[in-house]
Amino acid sequence: MSDEPTSESPAGGELDRRELLKKAGQVGAGAVAAGALAGGATAAPKRRSATPTIRRGGRLIWGLESDPAHVAPFGGILTANHWAKEFAYDSLVEWDRNLNVRPALAEKFEIISKTAIRWTLKRGIRFHNGKEVTAADVKYSVERMLNPPLPGSISTVAQVPAIDRVQVISKYVFILHLKQSDARVIGFFAWQRYAPIVPEGLYDQINVARNAIGTGPYRMLGYEPNDRVEYVRNQRYWKSGQPYMDSMQLKILGDEQARVAALRAGAIDGCTLTVEVARSLANDRSLRVLKGNNAAFRELQMTIKTGQNRPWHDRRVRLAVNHAINRADIIRRVYSGEAEYSGFVPPGYGPWPLSDKELREKYLKFDLPMARQLMRDAGQSRGFEVTMTTFALQDYPLISAVIQSQLRQINIDVNIVAQEAGTFAAANGLGTFDWDLTGRGMRGDVDGYVAEFHPAAPVFKIWYPEYRNIKAWRGIGNGRIQLDPAKRIPIYKAAQRELLLNPVQIPLVAIKKYQVVRTRVRNMYVAFSDFNTGLRFAWLDR
Amino acid sequence: MGGYILKRVAFAIPTLFVVSVGIFLMVRLLPGDIIDILFGGDLSASEEVKDQARDQLGLNGSYAEQYWRWISGIFQGDFGFSLRNTEPVSNIIVDSLVVTIELVVLGLLIAVVVGVPLGVISAVKRDSVADYASRIGGLIGLSIPSFWLATLLLLFTSKVFGWVPPLTYISPFEDPIGNLSQFILPAISISVFTMAIVMRMVRNTMLEVLGQDYVRTARAKGVGRRLVITKHALRNALIPVVTIVGFEIGVLIGGAAIVEIIFGLPGVGYTLLQAIFGRDYPVIQAMTLMIAFTFIFANLLVDILYGVLDPRITQE
Repeated sequence: MSDEPTSESPAGGELDRRELLKKAGQVGAGAVAAGALAGGATAAPKRRSATPTIRRGGRLIWGLESDPAHVAPFGGILTANHWAKEFAYDSLVEWDRNLNVRPALAEKFEIISKTAIRWTLKRGIRFHNGKEVTAADVKYSVERMLNPPLPGSISTVAQVPAIDRVQVISKYVFILHLKQSDARVIGFFAWQRYAPIVPEGLYDQINVARNAIGTGPYRMLGYEPNDRVEYVRNQRYWKSGQPYMDSMQLKILGDEQARVAALRAGAIDGCTLTVEVARSLANDRSLRVLKGNNAAFRELQMTIKTGQNRPWHDRRVRLAVNHAINRADIIRRVYSGEAEYSGFVPPGYGPWPLSDKELREKYLKFDLPMARQLMRDAGQSRGFEVTMTTFALQDYPLISAVIQSQLRQINIDVNIVAQEAGTFAAANGLGTFDWDLTGRGMRGDVDGYVAEFHPAAPVFKIWYPEYRNIKAWRGIGNGRIQLDPAKRIPIYKAAQRELLLNPVQIPLVAIKKYQVVRTRVRNMYVAFSDFNTGLRFAWLDR
Repeated sequence: MGGYILKRVAFAIPTLFVVSVGIFLMVRLLPGDIIDILFGGDLSASEEVKDQARDQLGLNGSYAEQYWRWISGIFQGDFGFSLRNTEPVSNIIVDSLVVTIELVVLGLLIAVVVGVPLGVISAVKRDSVADYASRIGGLIGLSIPSFWLATLLLLFTSKVFGWVPPLTYISPFEDPIGNLSQFILPAISISVFTMAIVMRMVRNTMLEVLGQDYVRTARAKGVGRRLVITKHALRNALIPVVTIVGFEIGVLIGGAAIVEIIFGLPGVGYTLLQAIFGRDYPVIQAMTLMIAFTFIFANLLVDILYGVLDPRITQE
């Protein structure tokens, strides 16, 4: 199993992307097709030769970059919400570090019809309060996924697939009924973010905003807002021998330099840092720099609204913009070389993204003469002015400035407006923008990366009601109801190609994530999901 | 004196009312509300679902209705619930207030304890090396942003001594030394600006007072130099300083926000900033009102203290 300790590479546990894609391609959703999670449908990743002896015990302090607001299991909108709670909860299935689906609380599942999946739970798994996990707990949990109580938000329901109800068959068996065929179900549970399994009646037992009862490797002692989350080892954890540490604290340290100072002083054992800061610590012998792909990618988003005749409503103009953007230049200037070309599905997301070669040489190729020709063909050789809004934080203003200078070459005069996150979100949600330089994050299923381009998505009417892409729509519609992952992969790849030939959003680059740990922290890795899942398997050396 | 205090309190009430209306409206004038934040970006949600979320969070009704709900709740001791985590706002205030009060008090203490003697020395030894050093120090103190100093102190101590203040809050009642080691760097960070102001103010007023007839008379009567400075001059020189210290409480709370983030202290500033980013109206409103109240209350105290230090003011 990949969650067993492995020796770490000299580079500090950096993911080998080629290996990752290969493995993901082999097994990414193979378990779904087979319907069996425990058996040979999944191939275990290759073990590295020298496996160090695991040392048990110790206490780890991890610096979190933002406050989770609460640790309620359902309906948390912030990524930080899951950062804080992820060690307390499990779901029916889980991803390993390469996004292969693995059994978790469920022993197996069987697709018995287009709208029904029969699940069998493992026996003897206990919650932190000692109660055994049963189908009734799953029913209770799923009902709250579909209608998250406060402090969760029902806004997260948009992330939930078409689950209708849970029918309890016996103590360990239940049927998940769907409203319609929906292939997103397995990824939704494997992601775990919105799908933890909690004991029946949890909301009546504890203050879920400040505490948790799950089956996870660590038992939560409590969350102090804007301060910390405390965990101790779950002695009854269902994965034999795990976890390895006695206790763990997640300390909220919003300021990056404060995290650096705390790392250097040994006050924390690890944290996430920006590329420049992480690199500046590379020569510190007491620290190890880890990096990896993660779900975050940047993109240029446009609106195509009824009654507005903007230059970019012409497909040729959008294609011109796409080919006038020099992504290699962005990667070099903004990310010090630490980013990759990204299509609508970011590199590293299992077998779903288009290949780097295909993106570089065809769909995202920097080709200024072609871009100029497209502008001429569209009658826009003199260019136009446009306002591009973006976040006034992180890399967004910088990447905007680079794009501004690049698009000047095809006479597009971009006016950058950097906004505070709330202001940006308001305009984005209402569609009151022309262009947005924005980002995308992790999704439970590949569908989540392309669903918004389909007219059935509520945002479609707000952002681009005049956009037409019949071939892509057909692919997206078919992909969602196709339960066989082997058949889904070509469908989604074809849909991505169609979307890139007629883009309404222009994907730019996928950035690397950096985490720095003290050398005593072993077996930690940068999770693609943007969570700190590696801490589940981390252990502390002397 | 009693009438004087009553008059000051009477002035404070309408001020608080105006502030409460201002706060209520201003948070709603921020572009975007918590619904936009919840559904912002790429979440696919219909208007019906958004309306459902508004109901869930109690954001329905006109502004007038919402204001009435809020203000009448306050009079019943109910500040509402956080929209982000449904915690009672009063709990959030209490938890964070303890941290900020300690930070501000300690910062103020450092500013006064260091600033006043420096100002006195600077005035008494005018144009000496000590005077020049104090004045340059004062200028530097005025120029350094607290967040910059905080970061610098943190990086310096971590790099040179391999030490940073304890990360988890330590109660002063459980471990006073641990608590002090946790608060000393942040308190220094926020105190420097106020210290410089106090030092310069004390120096100026001392110079003025030292030239007054009554000081000259005291000296002519043979009163010792030290007694003249401490008893006759300093007491009168402190009157404007007291005013400045009152105003500086607001500045210190403002400076504390960033410094709290840097040092990972879960205080009012940090909490307020998180609430603003999350458009958590009840928390923003209550926290801002509380800061305004603190500011008004501090100024009320200053006015009263003013009257104590200079009885002529109450008579006027």
